[in-house]
Amino acid sequence: MEGFVNTALIGVSLGAQYALLALGFTLIFGILGVVNFAHGGFYVLGGYVAYACVQHLGVPYPIAVMVAALATAGLGYVFEYFLLEHLIDNHLATLMLTLGFYLVMATGILVVFGPESPEFRFPISGTLRSGGIYIPLENFVVLSVCLLTIVGVYLLMYFTDFGRALRALADDRPVAMAQGLRPGILFPAAFGLATGLAGLTGALVTPILSLAPHIGDSVLAISFITVILGGLGSIGGATAAAFIVGMVEAFSSVYLGGSKGALTLFTLVLVILVVRPSGLFGREVRGA
Amino acid sequence: MTPAQAPRATRSHADELRVEKVTKRFGGLKVFEDLSFTLAPGDVMGVIGPNGAGKTTLINVICGRLPPTSGKISLGGRDVTAKPVHTLSRMGLVRSFQQTNTFRPASVSENISRAIRFSGGSDEVRERIEDLLGRFDLSTRLDDQSDKLPYGLQKMLGLLLAYATSPKVLLLDEPAAGLEGRERTRVDDFVAHARATLGCSVLIVEHDMDLIRRLCPRIMVLDAGRVIAEGAPAEVLARKDVIDAYVGATDDEVPA
Repeated sequence: MEGFVNTALIGVSLGAQYALLALGFTLIFGILGVVNFAHGGFYVLGGYVAYACVQHLGVPYPIAVMVAALATAGLGYVFEYFLLEHLIDNHLATLMLTLGFYLVMATGILVVFGPESPEFRFPISGTLRSGGIYIPLENFVVLSVCLLTIVGVYLLMYFTDFGRALRALADDRPVAMAQGLRPGILFPAAFGLATGLAGLTGALVTPILSLAPHIGDSVLAISFITVILGGLGSIGGATAAAFIVGMVEAFSSVYLGGSKGALTLFTLVLVILVVRPSGLFGREVRGA
Repeated sequence: MTPAQAPRATRSHADELRVEKVTKRFGGLKVFEDLSFTLAPGDVMGVIGPNGAGKTTLINVICGRLPPTSGKISLGGRDVTAKPVHTLSRMGLVRSFQQTNTFRPASVSENISRAIRFSGGSDEVRERIEDLLGRFDLSTRLDDQSDKLPYGLQKMLGLLLAYATSPKVLLLDEPAAGLEGRERTRVDDFVAHARATLGCSVLIVEHDMDLIRRLCPRIMVLDAGRVIAEGAPAEVLARKDVIDAYVGATDDEVPA
């Protein structure tokens, strides 16, 4: 029983991280209609910015995390505003552009920081225990920050005019524009919000897991799978799917062995997509 | 002139839509050429013509969705040619859509509040909308997801969303298309209400000739991008060249 609870705690921790990544990914797809292949890059960059702040500038870790989130949000905003915005309706072009930007980011990080994983440790350690149930303190902190941020994203999207406008653009861009909404201002803001979430996750998680220039690939894969599972563009779907993915990964690696996690996950996604092609929470195929 | 009169006079001039010698081409394909007309506040004008005559493209050009190849469009003396859709919407030039009308995944009430909020509307607008919601049998379905409504009600909701932005000029793209006979009179009701409460001018692209006759004191007939007739419906629809322009069109498009 305790083993089960401990595994579930790992699953929730993973789920919360994945939710932040997937929320950003699904916002960009839902609102801009763009598949952001650079999403993993912003995660890695967030990790390295936080690392550089702590290691080279001596900034306290919590502030470094905020700097990382703001820096990746700013970079996302600038990238959307100056590059992506001009090709926004050309799917092939946005694919090439985001993929290219990912390669530029990954290579830039490689040039600046080198290929080796830097020594980036979470500033606190220890374990919270209650009977046989335990959770490492750093996981607990990361989980709390992730959950608070998820709540924040929901409040932003459902209780502010900014969120209302973003959801309206996602629902129907021509109708939203006919009512006076300006995609030229809202799209970069949405993109920056999403990449800031990815950067924040990177800054929080990489000191626990690992930090290296190439880890963006698997982050992109997880974001993509989660969002497809939840239904492309769906906010609630992405969140729920992230926790499902986290649980599946945790339980299959504990009970089936480490390498079976990904296999179980992909099998599950395949089965679900056969049964429900638009994802667990997706609407039927969107109109043009 | 008393000070009280002055702003009113300015305002009515500020709402006039003027289309001057506007031409639209897609590459070598000419959609329409040298189109000119003026819509003063309160005016209702119908634009008719066979499919492919350039009617929807005309709406797209006026509302800023497509830039004209040449010519000038002004609203109250301000040049608004090729300004983006959202800018024109904020200036009061608002269109409805032939098909995509509403925020489909959102409820009826959410649709309405978005339209009012995005356009900076007041409580007064909300009250007027409530009146219209009642007339169109929508007030009992405020929580329904908008794309789950019967088609006729979706169309009316689309019109209400345009109304909710308090337009000065309303461009309606086939507001009655796909509606049943009884539902079509709601379009009359809507246009009358919009003119009475907003004082706006209305441009209607439509195939339903009965509706055009009822609503429009003035019509313009487009055929292959040219204006072949303009004037009161009774005269224009009796002309032989207008009737000929419709030959080959489907039955419900033939002016009866």
